[in-house]
Amino acid sequence: MSAEAKEFKWVGTRPVRPDGVPKVTGRAQYGADYRLPGELIGKVLRSPHAHARIRGIDTSKAEALPGVRAVVTSADFPDHPFAYIGPERVAQNFWHITRNIMAREKVLYEGHAVAAVAAPSAAVAEEALSLIEVDYEVLPHVIDVDEAMKPDAPLLFEDMTTRGVEPAPDKPSNISKRVEFGIGDLEAGFAAADHIVEKSFRTAPVHQGYIETHACMARFDADGQGEIWSSSQGHFVVRAMTAKLLGISPGDIRATALEIGGGFGGKTIVYLDPLAAALSRKCSQPVRMQMTREEVFKATGPTSGASMSVKIGCTDDGKITAADATFNFQAGAFPGSPVVNACMCAFAPYDIENARTVGYDVVCNRPKAAAYRAPGSPISAFGVESVLDMLAKKTGMDPVEFRLKNAARQGTQMVYGPKLSHDGYVETLEALMAHPDYKKPIGPNQGRGVASGFWFNGGGESSATVHVNDDGTVIVGSGSVDVGGSRASMALMAAETFGVDYDKVRCVVSDTASVGYTHVTGGSRVTFATGIAVHQACNKVIDDLRQRAAMIWDVDVDAVEWRDGAAHPAGANVGDFEPLTIGELAAKRALTGGPIGAAGTTNAGAQAPGFSSQFCDIEVDPETGHVQVLRFIAAQDVGRAIHPSYVEGQIQGGVVQGIGWALNEEYIYDDKGRLENAGFLDYRVPVASDLPMIDAVLVEVPNPSHPYGVKGVGEVNICPPMAAIANAIDQAVDTRMYELPMSPPRLLAAMDANGADGDD
Amino acid sequence: MGPTVQVRFTEGFARAFTGGVREFEVEARLLRDVIRAMNERFPGLGERLVEETTVAIDGMMHETAYFQPVPPGGEVFFIPKLEGG
Repeated sequence: MSAEAKEFKWVGTRPVRPDGVPKVTGRAQYGADYRLPGELIGKVLRSPHAHARIRGIDTSKAEALPGVRAVVTSADFPDHPFAYIGPERVAQNFWHITRNIMAREKVLYEGHAVAAVAAPSAAVAEEALSLIEVDYEVLPHVIDVDEAMKPDAPLLFEDMTTRGVEPAPDKPSNISKRVEFGIGDLEAGFAAADHIVEKSFRTAPVHQGYIETHACMARFDADGQGEIWSSSQGHFVVRAMTAKLLGISPGDIRATALEIGGGFGGKTIVYLDPLAAALSRKCSQPVRMQMTREEVFKATGPTSGASMSVKIGCTDDGKITAADATFNFQAGAFPGSPVVNACMCAFAPYDIENARTVGYDVVCNRPKAAAYRAPGSPISAFGVESVLDMLAKKTGMDPVEFRLKNAARQGTQMVYGPKLSHDGYVETLEALMAHPDYKKPIGPNQGRGVASGFWFNGGGESSATVHVNDDGTVIVGSGSVDVGGSRASMALMAAETFGVDYDKVRCVVSDTASVGYTHVTGGSRVTFATGIAVHQACNKVIDDLRQRAAMIWDVDVDAVEWRDGAAHPAGANVGDFEPLTIGELAAKRALTGGPIGAAGTTNAGAQAPGFSSQFCDIEVDPETGHVQVLRFIAAQDVGRAIHPSYVEGQIQGGVVQGIGWALNEEYIYDDKGRLENAGFLDYRVPVASDLPMIDAVLVEVPNPSHPYGVKGVGEVNICPPMAAIANAIDQAVDTRMYELPMSPPRLLAAMDANGADGDD
Repeated sequence: MGPTVQVRFTEGFARAFTGGVREFEVEARLLRDVIRAMNERFPGLGERLVEETTVAIDGMMHETAYFQPVPPGGEVFFIPKLEGG
């Protein structure tokens, strides 16, 4: 912990988590737990085809089935004009979104929703689904990104031409857009290099793998007012998107966030909420819906699979002179992969004078890609950090020293335009070098690999409320869904600001009618942005409490200062007054002005990016190709850890997901484009017995733009593991892996085919 | 005359909206002034900036919003908006 952190009483401590007891006793209500009297069960009919034209849907037999209360198809949702709304990376095109939640002219992936029903029981609902007749014209499909980019590939949209290309193409393709970033003179940079490595890589699409499947309850009354309770990363976004998709006002929906069993980006959008709302509006009864695991795999957004080429040059003494990369990303059935992020993050940890990144967003017959932990950055990091390892070897440098020599610092020009605003990367590398395990010897068939990663971290709009009870306890409400411990971190920051004990603060997630707009819990933004809103609200209350103390003492408010949870005279000449604690002031609230409370709102900026540097030791079984992770050290600049246990948990979780991405996780399709491994038995995420204890090293370089120095911590940790493991495998068995996952059969085949280092 | 700030765009954004010119100098105290000045030069660009970009002011990332102060001589870099998981 940094020296600055020691000045705090609560920030940086590890109190018991406030959501712990409800969760371990089973009292916590997750998306599927919520119940209402008279509720119906909603079920979705999904496409069995990867790509087909819908010639007709006949729901009459389902509607006639006794018990069925409502059936909806795309005809029950208003269509939207074809228009990209908002920024390029996160542009929303509701022509696409309404077709993703319910197919119209075509189904574009296996699992694509085509109809939904509501009935008193799951059995009746499922029987009703079996009675819906869909007339499909099956079309050729394409899933692989490189295949989808070919001129003769089956087209998902016959009229889509590539944006970002001039002159505009006159032929349609599956390439939705092209983006490019660049600085310096690439040709001169590569001419100055003594060593150049240029390689191609592929990554598999992977799912976020949240344990809780999507679930919600919707209820609409005859007056058109409705409520939604759901498992999501942002109930304000649930409200906004559901209203837009139904063609009603957001003011007609009140959305409540239930406990969430993981999201990792995959619950920042809607799937079931608008369907449940449409069914409920149609029959005026509450409708509850929950996806099966199979539905989650077949119908919700994973992150993109990708192919890429990376070329980097450096001098004999290890200075990078130029870097160039092209990334091709699967967007899934509709445009919008995280390829822009990949282009911006790829070289961000490094000071490179001449660099270019090019990205292609490519549609294919898979579910639309959704955000997943630092979207795009882990994919580009796999290629870039693998090539850097090869260059470090060519120069004979230690891989950490090689990165240190090229590390970005405050003021370094970034490939995407501005200069880097904060330090933090160098410190993570120094933490690795100083780690006692970094110099430990390794055994036969074992290897040590190093890699780093970058993520922007987010800011943006957040709201909070603070109220003081008559005993001085404090209620903090925010609009941020608590995915990773935000109730604890908000309570700690409120306790620190007021100077009261942590156990005097209660933190809740408020519904959309009870607090101001708050953007999703994503982008590693909540502890930063919502923390600022909480801090602001606390200080408004403190100002109010000082006013009340001044009134009681008959002095000017400037003569009252606040510290240690109480009003104190600001100096000896103010008068001989005993301090008034927050509880004593709250007890006199009626006398001094009534209830004590305030709201804080912000559009928070000046967030600092996150850097993570990691090394791992692995052992390869030369007979099976199985990789055992023996040791994993992850150093991350966290700004300041408000609740270090949660921060360590974020780092450990990100690394574990990265290990799964590296070694096991992939989608397996049959020749008709149907997913064959839609379950955790066959889609294998790492479990505890696969893993060593992940050693999270908290590097604290505080962000001066936050009252407690916070930087986002949730995402960057997933960027390095894939390359770190690939680099370790290369050291262990002299075999460079260019494709994920590095599963036993793939590694065994590479070792058999290789026999020599593939680095050259 | 107010203080001047340097306005920068990515190559793709400039190609699409400013005839390929990536750097401008405008008088501004708030980001509102920058957006207004650029909109005067390229009618309609102001809305694009608000809707489609994040801004880095001397390297510090912010949502593109009117209220943000810009220091004299500072660099205002408009880049594609970002999203996280």
